[in-house]
Amino acid sequence: MSSSAPPPSGLRERVVVAARAVRPAGRAVPEPAPITAVEAFSRAADALNGLLSALADDQWETVALRGLDAYGLVAHLTGVEDDVRAALEGDPGVADIDHVAATRSQPARTPEGTRVAWRTAVDATLTHLAATDDLDQVVAVHRIRLPLRSLLVARAFELWAHENDIRAAIGMPRRDPDPSTLTLMTTLATRLLPFGVARLGNGQAPVDLHLVLTGDGGGTWDLPLGDRGAPAPALRDVPEVTIVAEAVDFCRLVANRLRPADLPTHLGGSVVHVPHILAGAAALALD
Amino acid sequence: MHMLLDARAAGGMGARSDRGRCSGPARGSTLSDMRSPDQLLAARLAAGDERALTEAFDALASAVHTAAVRVLGQTATAQDVVQDVFVELWRRPQRYDPALGSLRTYLIVSARHRAYDVLRSELRRMGREARHHRLTPGHHQDSPDEKVADALTASTVREALRTLPAEQRQVVEMAYFGGLSYREVARTVGISEGTAKSRIRLALGKLEILLDRQMLESS
Repeated sequence: MSSSAPPPSGLRERVVVAARAVRPAGRAVPEPAPITAVEAFSRAADALNGLLSALADDQWETVALRGLDAYGLVAHLTGVEDDVRAALEGDPGVADIDHVAATRSQPARTPEGTRVAWRTAVDATLTHLAATDDLDQVVAVHRIRLPLRSLLVARAFELWAHENDIRAAIGMPRRDPDPSTLTLMTTLATRLLPFGVARLGNGQAPVDLHLVLTGDGGGTWDLPLGDRGAPAPALRDVPEVTIVAEAVDFCRLVANRLRPADLPTHLGGSVVHVPHILAGAAALALD
Repeated sequence: MHMLLDARAAGGMGARSDRGRCSGPARGSTLSDMRSPDQLLAARLAAGDERALTEAFDALASAVHTAAVRVLGQTATAQDVVQDVFVELWRRPQRYDPALGSLRTYLIVSARHRAYDVLRSELRRMGREARHHRLTPGHHQDSPDEKVADALTASTVREALRTLPAEQRQVVEMAYFGGLSYREVARTVGISEGTAKSRIRLALGKLEILLDRQMLESS
């Protein structure tokens, strides 16, 4: 008997065909339990509420982000919540206002008062959502126009990012979203990525991205990026780049909580395009 | 929320990867520094990256096939074992724990286990057929391909059986080829039923070890 027995030709193809029959490509395993965008938003709110409930008085005064302490940050979130609810109720006045300028008010400077004001606003949003069947309706708020289900996942991003801003400020470890929520977040981020890259400027050469996000919330996506207005012959030899990153790190990137240069990645293909792609991801600013 | 997007973004441009293009090995950066190649491959498999499967196949199929062939011979069954091993890796990549060893070792051990499972069922099948042939005068004739495959497998099994101690070979032959129950084996040999069971288990265990050794010696 020989010491090595190479597999016969054709076996590789057989394996690939059989593998596809038992599990489609692109989907991560184990698959987390699917949840709605409303549930993702609700979970993110609960997590932040849990943190706020446990903060000591002096921790509320620790600067967490851009000069804002927890009071300022939570008051900002309360303002966002009020504006989102106004948008849900059809108020066009919140469609194009600046989201930071519109939410600077800090009426309460007590921990419980600030937290309760925000939680009450969140609950009002959830009450409105409970009576809404159409998660595909486009909602316009703070210069954002997204279907409601996408907006809610973006809100989950926002609450998660700010929760970790406060955690970092007071020396607590980062909290990562549960796998079900994270899956919705990576799905939204990868859908938006072509637009983030496009926002960086016209004339970006077309490139095909093979994006592999590992860990909880992961998956694999093939995304056409760059200017696709070129004549067909020019698109024939579109370069391809592979980026492998942790799903949660990619979410931190698109939430502007990780710089592109600091994203741990494994790269392949036309890596010259990577900085531009990652800059496009960061430009999404889902915080 | 700082993003500036509109509803066009909601439809989604990207597609979940379902293409099997196999790129070359990705060049390392910080992530690869933190992970072994096997850890990275396992993470990519779990993420549904089909290219990780083809890369694993290209790198390890030869070793996996060799392991299967050493137990089952150059048979279609050995190829089936290879297919099963890689499909199972794709279906449940989380079963591979890089902390416990290399992917190569994991797949080779998986192939051996599957091959032994095939051998065990082959032993039972051969026993059933032997009994059937004895009882049925004009039995079905196998095709030439089936005969070759069966002969290769049977020869491997018989070769291993011959190396067993006589008392162990005797009980295995009685149970698997003679179609006797544990009780009947015990009565025929003149031992207790418990002894018959444990002797058969011991014989099967030795059979595995013998086949294992065969494999190691020829590697």
